[in-house]
Amino acid sequence: MKLMPLFDSALDDLLARIRGVLVIVRDGRRGKGAGVLAGDGLVLTNNHVAGGGRSLQVTLEDGSSHQARVLRRNPGADLALLQIPANGHPAAVFSTREPRPGEMVFAFGHPWGQPNVLTGGVLSAVTTARSRGGELPILRSDVQLAPGNSGGPLLNAAGEVLGLNTMIYGGDQSMAIPASVIREFLAEARKTMPRPPVPEDVL
Amino acid sequence: MSNVLVELSNAMAAAAEKAGASTVLVNARRRMSASGIAYAADLILTADHVVEQEEGMTVTLPDGSMLGAKLAGRDPGSDLALLRLERPAAKPAEMTPDARIGQLVLALGRPSTEGIEASLGVVSAVGGPVRTPRGMLDRYIRTDTTPYPGFSGGPLVDAEGRVAGLNTSGFGRGTALTIPASLAWKVAAQLAEHGSVQRGYLGIRSQGVEISEAAQKALKREQAAGLVVVSVESGSPAETGGMMVGDILVGLDHQPTQDHDELFVRLSGDAVGKSIPVEILRGGQPQTLKVKVGVRP
Repeated sequence: MKLMPLFDSALDDLLARIRGVLVIVRDGRRGKGAGVLAGDGLVLTNNHVAGGGRSLQVTLEDGSSHQARVLRRNPGADLALLQIPANGHPAAVFSTREPRPGEMVFAFGHPWGQPNVLTGGVLSAVTTARSRGGELPILRSDVQLAPGNSGGPLLNAAGEVLGLNTMIYGGDQSMAIPASVIREFLAEARKTMPRPPVPEDVL
Repeated sequence: MSNVLVELSNAMAAAAEKAGASTVLVNARRRMSASGIAYAADLILTADHVVEQEEGMTVTLPDGSMLGAKLAGRDPGSDLALLRLERPAAKPAEMTPDARIGQLVLALGRPSTEGIEASLGVVSAVGGPVRTPRGMLDRYIRTDTTPYPGFSGGPLVDAEGRVAGLNTSGFGRGTALTIPASLAWKVAAQLAEHGSVQRGYLGIRSQGVEISEAAQKALKREQAAGLVVVSVESGSPAETGGMMVGDILVGLDHQPTQDHDELFVRLSGDAVGKSIPVEILRGGQPQTLKVKVGVRP
């Protein structure tokens, strides 16, 4: 089989696999951001997307909208964890591999309000950035991001989440919070969760 | 899981890693470091415009070791400089002379000690010669890779991790160009040997002229323009070779010379010191003289 059609079908497969984990996060007044389903009704997004945390709405890929509340925040790393009552939805796989400069990456989000847009590039650098919380590990890539990509996943070629797209720097560099930081944030959140989320269908 | 995407991704990361092992950090200007390519174990090729100081230059290798470096030579015209390390410790890059439009490439840099950086693109154009702020570039490659800060002097890398060129933003106008590896390596060889790039010298002044159809017929090819010789310096290679005022220079070393850019390119590099055929029109008739190309003072 020819390489280019193989590439196309592999990209289709990737998209099919990751489609379900991307959500739209709205906070009522402000525009759309993105979020990633992390299992148990948890939605990972950027702290700046969660905003004030009031009247947060999460829209899933099937079109259903759900009220969300903020479970935990890390403003230094610009991470927020939301809880929605929905359950039984797919969860993102967070990469445990060491990110490599030059590897292929994809950003999935809603740039300029356009839903479910995939952009591609390579991982440019594994580096650090100064933030309110001190030095923060950062993944830089050359994928095209726009407002609306915030909170969406940066994926590797296997469809695993390498990071959470956070901001655009200098016009042409995209920053993402690496999976290592996200996994730590999720683990702490799960530890301090008041009780395990009860699946909706049990009620 | 493995599929063509994962394989391609791994291959690209491997290419970045391979070429990254020969990509160094160059500290030769005050505010911002730049990148360089290991041309030999003790020679680093970088962009001329990032070498702002000749004293106290350092090069940081991929393993983090920092070495002192001295200028071995520079060629502002092609924006290339060659640095000599205090000891041979670098891993020479593998070079490829090929660049095809549409080809997948990575621009690499090592702007900091944090590691290699990469950006993806394709070869958008291959062209030249082109005038530069300080001379002429024989050939160039243009890509749609993102030239991050500190990428000047770093390599353009093909899918197999071979260096296809040296990236520079030193030609101004906010655009980045890539100097093809074949040209960069040729310049580096001259810089290593002579400390500068030797440019050929004939010793004539000339002006562009049209070539009449009758003369083109006599020439047996379509060539609409040539260079009419308006003066010949005494004792110059041109005079020794028999060139005269009024001759129309139409070819050099079996290549047509239609304008000054082409003459400049034909006289660069290897031509120096060689006796080459100089094709002229004299009285409307083609003649070939032999001229031993000198070194431009």
